[in-house]
Amino acid sequence: MISLTNVSKTFPNGIDVLFNINLHIGKEEFVFIVGPSGAGKTTLMKLLYREESPSAGKVVVDRVNVAELDKNQVPYLRRNIGVVFQDYKLLPRRTVYENVAFALRVTGAVRSTVRRKVMQSLELVGLLRRANSFPDELSGGEKQRACIARAIVNNPPILIADEPTGNLDPTTSRDILQLLDKINKRKTTVLMATHNKSIVDDMKRRVVALEAGRIVRDQMLGGYDV
Amino acid sequence: MFSNLEFFIVEAFRSFRRGAIMTLVAIGTISVSLVIFGMFLLLIINMGNIVSTISSKMDITAYVEKDISLESAGALQLELSKIPGVEKVDFVSRTEAWRQFKEDFGSRLTLDELVLSNPLPHSFAVAVRNPDLLPSIAKHISKIELVDEVRYSGKLIDQVKSLVDAVRVGGAALIILISFATLLIVVNTVRLTVLAREDDIYIMKLVGATNTFVKWPFIIEGVMIGVIGGFVSFMVAKFAYDAIIMRVSHALPFVPVVSDPRLLGFVYLSMVAGGMAVGMLGAYISVSKVLKAEGE
Repeated sequence: MISLTNVSKTFPNGIDVLFNINLHIGKEEFVFIVGPSGAGKTTLMKLLYREESPSAGKVVVDRVNVAELDKNQVPYLRRNIGVVFQDYKLLPRRTVYENVAFALRVTGAVRSTVRRKVMQSLELVGLLRRANSFPDELSGGEKQRACIARAIVNNPPILIADEPTGNLDPTTSRDILQLLDKINKRKTTVLMATHNKSIVDDMKRRVVALEAGRIVRDQMLGGYDV
Repeated sequence: MFSNLEFFIVEAFRSFRRGAIMTLVAIGTISVSLVIFGMFLLLIINMGNIVSTISSKMDITAYVEKDISLESAGALQLELSKIPGVEKVDFVSRTEAWRQFKEDFGSRLTLDELVLSNPLPHSFAVAVRNPDLLPSIAKHISKIELVDEVRYSGKLIDQVKSLVDAVRVGGAALIILISFATLLIVVNTVRLTVLAREDDIYIMKLVGATNTFVKWPFIIEGVMIGVIGGFVSFMVAKFAYDAIIMRVSHALPFVPVVSDPRLLGFVYLSMVAGGMAVGMLGAYISVSKVLKAEGE
């Protein structure tokens, strides 16, 4: 599903973030990317949905070489990848429903389809009763659920979550992980970057550890530490 | 597509309302710029009108001896009209000339109290085909026996001609300059409304919106801002110009003021259309820039 071959990334200011990354992730896998801040987790994920382009190497997502993708095709790539952020990135003046619907509307979906899919998505994340609330009126966990609902409303085969529990308490974090697990079981490949040791240890999934831009460990059924 | 159009319009109205202060600033800026543009256009049109009025009035006035009979006046008119280059000869009786004079200046002076009898002679207004012929024809007429005195605005011709050219060239250049300045101001103002919504654009791009899709709501919003700004400027300009017409025609009745509703309608329409165009262009340029800055 996802395949990085000899990928390196140097920012325009000369700072090297990723060195010779080789990583292959199969369909419907659940993978944790762990490592200290600045290790390159976020950059690695941005390469997948082409917010960044690699300086060298090949990034293939769903049989498409993302690095060489024509600019006009990038939107269609992104419709196949749901992205969840630590800071949620919800639009503040829109209700939960509108935030989720927005992601569908920009793909040109018609109103009736939008309504059905948004409702399904909100039901899946358990946020139906908050559909008409504004982000300000939600708890951190609810905001993250709304963000996840937006990410999956288009039924993307891949879900990328960049520190989704970074701002949440342990109990809420566990709820979010259960939700991501549920989404993974619906045949969505999930890639999650995190610092959260206890969650990684509990879940016993594949763990890819990054340090200073290099993969230092890639372990099935791993823990946060070796 | 229909469903998308609905989305674009809903989004445009939404951001229009949401950024109320920014929207008002943009409308205000466009209005002020267009009022300046429109009033300047009217000024240029009026200068052109004054100049062409002057040059069309450049005829020769031949004053004849006071006690001339109507028969010899008729014969003289025929003779004058036969001179090569003369287009038209009008007889102006001394009564008519006096009446006209009083009409032009009578509101300012009570002439009848100052002058007891009509001091003016009969005259002929000789219009020529080409202002260049004025000197030679004037000379020809002055040699006719019954003609007392010949007057024509000889020195004025060259001045008026160069004024016509100056107004035409300078006016066009200034209109282009002001249009460009207006566009720059509007682009930068609309740019602020776009920049205020960079987050929206980022999210739209992230969830897979194409650039075209991102642009439309902004362009529609730009058009709305532009049309409203254009309409406000039209109201202001019309109000101001109508007041100016009234003052000028009272205080300076001999200055011709353009009041042709078709021409004024064209100016006002061009202000609204111009507002729409700069609003649209401003939004398009701004949103394209933001999209470019976000990379890919």
